[in-house]
Amino acid sequence: MIRLLAATLAVVLAAAPVLIMPTPAVAVIAVVGLLLATVGVAAFWRWPVTAAACVFLADYAAALWVAAGPVNVAGAAGFGLALLFMLESVDLARRVRRAAVDGAVIRSHLGRWSGFGAATLASAALAVALASALATPMPPAIAPLLAAGGALGVMTTIAVIITRVALSRRSVGR
Amino acid sequence: MTGRVTPLGFSVLAVAGCALSLAVLSARPELFVAALPLLLALVSLALRAPALDHRIAHEVSRARILEGESVTVTITIQARAPIALLELLGPLPTGSVVVSGRQRAAMTLGAGHTGRWSYEVRFGSRGVHDMGTIAVRVRDRFGIRAWEQRHVDPKPVRVYPRIVPLRSLPRPAHARASVGDYVSAALGEGIEPGDIRQFAPGDRIRQVNWRASLRLGKLYVTQHQRERNADVVLMLDTLAEAGRAPDTTLDWSVRAGASLATAYLARKDRVGLINYGGLIHWVKPGSGRAQYERLADALAWADVVFTYVAKDLAVVPPRVLPPRAVVIAITPLLDPRFTRAALDLAARGFDLVVLVVSPVEVTRRALAPSPTIDLACRLWTLDRRARLAELHRQGVAVLEWSPPEPLELALAGARRRRPRLVAAG
Repeated sequence: MIRLLAATLAVVLAAAPVLIMPTPAVAVIAVVGLLLATVGVAAFWRWPVTAAACVFLADYAAALWVAAGPVNVAGAAGFGLALLFMLESVDLARRVRRAAVDGAVIRSHLGRWSGFGAATLASAALAVALASALATPMPPAIAPLLAAGGALGVMTTIAVIITRVALSRRSVGR
Repeated sequence: MTGRVTPLGFSVLAVAGCALSLAVLSARPELFVAALPLLLALVSLALRAPALDHRIAHEVSRARILEGESVTVTITIQARAPIALLELLGPLPTGSVVVSGRQRAAMTLGAGHTGRWSYEVRFGSRGVHDMGTIAVRVRDRFGIRAWEQRHVDPKPVRVYPRIVPLRSLPRPAHARASVGDYVSAALGEGIEPGDIRQFAPGDRIRQVNWRASLRLGKLYVTQHQRERNADVVLMLDTLAEAGRAPDTTLDWSVRAGASLATAYLARKDRVGLINYGGLIHWVKPGSGRAQYERLADALAWADVVFTYVAKDLAVVPPRVLPPRAVVIAITPLLDPRFTRAALDLAARGFDLVVLVVSPVEVTRRALAPSPTIDLACRLWTLDRRARLAELHRQGVAVLEWSPPEPLELALAGARRRRPRLVAAG
């Protein structure tokens, strides 16, 4: 059941770039990603699924870049959510393999994903509106530098958070 | 509980980094948006850790079982705060298998909810196994942070060797003064008629043999043979073993020891045990149900401890090795030190019976069949036959047992060869 969900998400992620830009090159990259995802889902391996997610992203970026179409915020948020849920579902399948699984596990995960999906869509809409408002007075020459700096800043912040968590290993609860 | 970032967290971080890099390179805002859910999930790491409050309790259906039997492990988790995903790994000692249910469980619990799951474990080999450790892992809602803990509540399960009923047992040459099942040569109180003699003052009327009295014209009384018990000491060779668990020569020796102990105790004999190996351990002779428990515990613990040091039986106190006891040495005859110790006992006048557990068939069953193995086993059998003949020549009663054939078959020879009880207390 969980693996089926992961496989479905992989198919969606492979199909999305092909639908945006139906060219053989994009299709070939999608197939490569799909093969990696299949290996990961079948063998419960995390690294092929991570690699597949990166391949899907590269394929998506290539399709968007070649197509040069209008910005589709909902589609992009959906693509990001599908990436996250694919990674999570493979991990969950790995966790519950050969285990007695309570039915509530699947139900609660699906419920949580629905809530998180809605929150993400709202956040994406808010972020795009904010970015559009900021972009208007900004000189076009600074935009790429600001984007790169922002991306670097976000990644650094998250890396710091992860390092703190990894180093603290504090005891909580009972 | 120790918290850590899971491998999934690092996967999400890698994919988010990839998305942001591609967004900058391709200058497409969609990729920034695609990275947003991944980043939101990672940002949850900065939030305060949730209050993890749960209570785990587990029960094992039985604390004492026989080899091949199973126990049911029931684990109950009571959550006081919501738990997104709880993973539990129940105890499964080496040599045991899960018969029904699963050893692992995953569950989601709300505040105040209770989760319960159980599984059945079958133990194939004897020993004392700990069923008290449960590994617990709690994951957050995105699965990118986990807290691990070990729940320890000692639950030892004692797995005793299988027992087979035995009818033929090596008869002791000497008896004790206490009442038992062996017919003694000495006359006194008993059931078996032994002799008749002339009536003497003090004899009871019911002892009068009326048939003999009428024929001989004087009063004669029947005398009976006393029924006595004996001391039996089982001497287990734990110096070496052959074969693959749970069917090594030591496992078979332990089963034989347990069966013999049960049979002798049922005959009201006093049974003791000496584990002769790297570590000498003994149980002094005794009788009754409690003694069986002591012997079974000692047999369950029996294991080979390698040593170059040959222990002397002189360290064994006389109360453990009574002078007129029958000593049944159970050995695969793999280590000459045990043979020397057994011959030493015979030389000291102990009534010695050597039950040889043949390692040939046990080893053959542990190896892949091939002509080379067959040839090696045949040569080994010839070598062992020569060793047994040597023991015979030294006047030791030797019984050869080739597991998995029934032990009764090997012991049947004992009845024919062993002399009738000659001395009595």
